[in-house]
Formats: sequence, C-alpha cells, structure tokens
Amino acid sequence: MTTTIFAAATSTNPILPATGEIIWSVVSFVVLLFVLGKFAYPPVKQMMVDRASKIRGDLDAAELARTEAQRTLEEYREQLAQAKRDASHIVEEARLTAEALRVELLSKAEEEAAEVRTRNEELLRFERQRVLAELRSEVGSLALELAEKIIDAEVDRAASQALIDSFISEIGASQA
Amino acid sequence: MLLAGINFPPISDVLNWKSIAFSGTPAALNKVGLITIAAAVITLALFFIAGKQKRLVPSGVQNLMESAIEFINNAIVLDVMGPEGMPWAPYLTGLFFFIFFCNIFEVIPFIQMPATARMSVPAPLALMVWVTFIVVGIKSQGLGRYFKNSVVPSGVPGPLLIMLIPLEILSNFIVRPFALAVRLFGNMLAGHLLLLTFAVLSEALFIKSVGIAILPLPFAMLTALTGYEIFVSALQAFIFTILSALYIAEAMKAQH
Repeated sequence: MTTTIFAAATSTNPILPATGEIIWSVVSFVVLLFVLGKFAYPPVKQMMVDRASKIRGDLDAAELARTEAQRTLEEYREQLAQAKRDASHIVEEARLTAEALRVELLSKAEEEAAEVRTRNEELLRFERQRVLAELRSEVGSLALELAEKIIDAEVDRAASQALIDSFISEIGASQA
Repeated sequence: MLLAGINFPPISDVLNWKSIAFSGTPAALNKVGLITIAAAVITLALFFIAGKQKRLVPSGVQNLMESAIEFINNAIVLDVMGPEGMPWAPYLTGLFFFIFFCNIFEVIPFIQMPATARMSVPAPLALMVWVTFIVVGIKSQGLGRYFKNSVVPSGVPGPLLIMLIPLEILSNFIVRPFALAVRLFGNMLAGHLLLLTFAVLSEALFIKSVGIAILPLPFAMLTALTGYEIFVSALQAFIFTILSALYIAEAMKAQH
C-alpha cells in the first residue's frame, strides 16, 4: 500500500527519484566497481604495462646490439688497418732482403768472374811459356837438323849444343 | 493551427516507467533499472573481452578499451591527481563507463532513455563520490586537520573567517555533491526532452500530410541533436569523472 502511494507521488514530479531505480542503479554500480576493480581492469592494465616494458626492453636490446655492432666494426677496422700495416711491413722486409741478396749475388758473381779471369790469364801465361819452351827446343833441333842437312857433315852434337843454346837465347833476347 | 494537433505527452509519461519485475516491492525493476544493469554488464563485458585478447598489437575491443584506459589515465588521473592518484584509476574508469553507458541509451533506438535523466542514478553516484572524498580526506590528513584545511582558507584575517567558514562548508560539503548530481541530471534530462520534442514534431508532421513540406526542418534538427547528444553523453561522463577525481585529489593533499 505504501509503495503505491510513493509511486503515485513520484509520478507527478519528474525530479524526485524512485526507490526501485535507486536500488538497481546502486547495485549495478557497486557490482560494476567491485568486479571491474577485482577482475576486469587488472588484466587489461597488466597487458598494457607488460607491453610498455617489453617495448622498453626491446629498445634497450636494440640499442645494446647497435653499440655491440659498432664496437665489432671498430675492431674489424682496427684489425684491417693492422693487417695492412703488417703486409706493407712484410713487403718492405722482402724488398730489403731481395735487395741485399741481389747485391751479395752480384758481388759474388763479380768476384768469381775476376777469379776466372785471373786464372785464365795465369793459364794463358803458363801455356805461352810452355809453348815458348817447346818451340825453343823444337826450333833448336830443327835448325840443327837443317844445319846438318845443309852442311851435310858430321858435327859433334855435344860441341854444337852450346852453340845452338847461345843462338836460341840470342833470339829470345831479341824477341823479349 | 497546425501545432494544435500535436499531442505532447506529459513529462511524467516519458520519465516514469512501469515496473517490469519485483512490482510492489521497494526493489521494483523498471526500464531505468534495466539500463543501469545493462551499463554495468556492457562495461564489464568490454573489459573482460579486452583482457582475454592479450594481443601484443591490440585491435578491436582490446584497442578500444586500452585507448579508453589510456585516456582516463592521462586526461583525468595523471592530469588532475598526479602519479599518486593511480590507485584510483579503476574506480574512475568504472565511474566514467557507467555514466557514459547510462547516458548513451538516450540515442539507442527503441530504448531512447538516458538512465541519468532520472535523479535515481546521478544522486547516488554523487553521494558515493561525496562519501569517498570525505573518507579519503579523513584517512590521509586525519579528521581534525582535514576539516580545518577544507573549511578554513589559509592566509585570511580573523574577522573574514566568520564569513568565509560557512561559505566554505557550503561550497565543499553541500554544493559539490548537489552540483555534481544536478549537472548530470539536468543535462541528460534536457537532452532527452529536446530529442523527444523534435521526434514528436517530426512524427506529427509526417502523419498529417499537410505538414510534409516543413518536415525536413524538425527532422534535420532531430538528427543534428542526436549527434550532439552522443557528444554530450561522453562529455557529461567526462565532467562527472574529472570533478570526482579533483575532489578526491584535493582531499588527498594537505593543502589546496
């Protein structure tokens, strides 16, 4: 009975609230707040927080990878430069060695050539003396034979030998 | 007269709804009650769907709810309350969505009734906010200090305080919840009646073929106002929420 009176009273005034409406709106709102705060809101918020931290982590990791790559690049550049320095050093060393070797070989060859030349000269001189000596004796006997044949007379060989020697040395002296 | 034939319904006919369940009991459930339940259920459903998806790159409902959370966190919680207000984010998010969905039923076809156009919805909400900020104030500052800080403005000479203290009491503890409730209620009721007026006018002109020539005028107005009311629904929800945040933030700080 009282509720109908209340309803009748509210129906004339558009501003006054109705009891049933108040109860349902309060119940809906309180349930909403409770379930939202307890179960519905945290997972969504957590997801957002997780995403934010993941993005931050990814950015940090990317930055780290970038500096790491930069560092490796610097290392490689350094190594490359070192290798170039080493290579030019090696080439320079090889060039110096080759130059030294060349000079050494050249001087050795010159020495050998000089030696060969000296030996040849000696040999030549020796040959010449030998030929000369042979020639002397040959010429002596030839002249003797010739003289024997020309004068056709028996000459004492021992006696004429001294004559022949003096003749030959005369020739030698005039030749020298 | 053309308008003489138009039958405007009495205002109580478009605001007071017959109960559809629990009739005769104090907890009679009517259209407004159903809308508040729907507002709570829709809000929770959206959050549960968003929470279930857990995609790294959000889309659809997840994206929508994350944007909403982001907006409420940035534009309301952080701007008004600062970082220490973050624990209040779920409360304020719930408040915003509840009011918004209660409002938006104003333009949903076949329902077309903002639950907030009945004092039964804004008044309890404002009362809850009122209780909340007083409790927060007492908890964070202590009973005596909170009331002293709230009603005694600093740096005011003694004689003026006699005038100012009653004014501060009035503005901080009486006008605040009242204004909070009335602002929402008045805006939504006015919007509801405006839409109703142009809808009735359009219908009457449509039925009476004589008026068909000027029908586009009220109908265009009805369309434009429907769009405007969507905006108002969001705006009023935002205003209610940001003011609640402001009152709670003030209660949290020692001095305002």
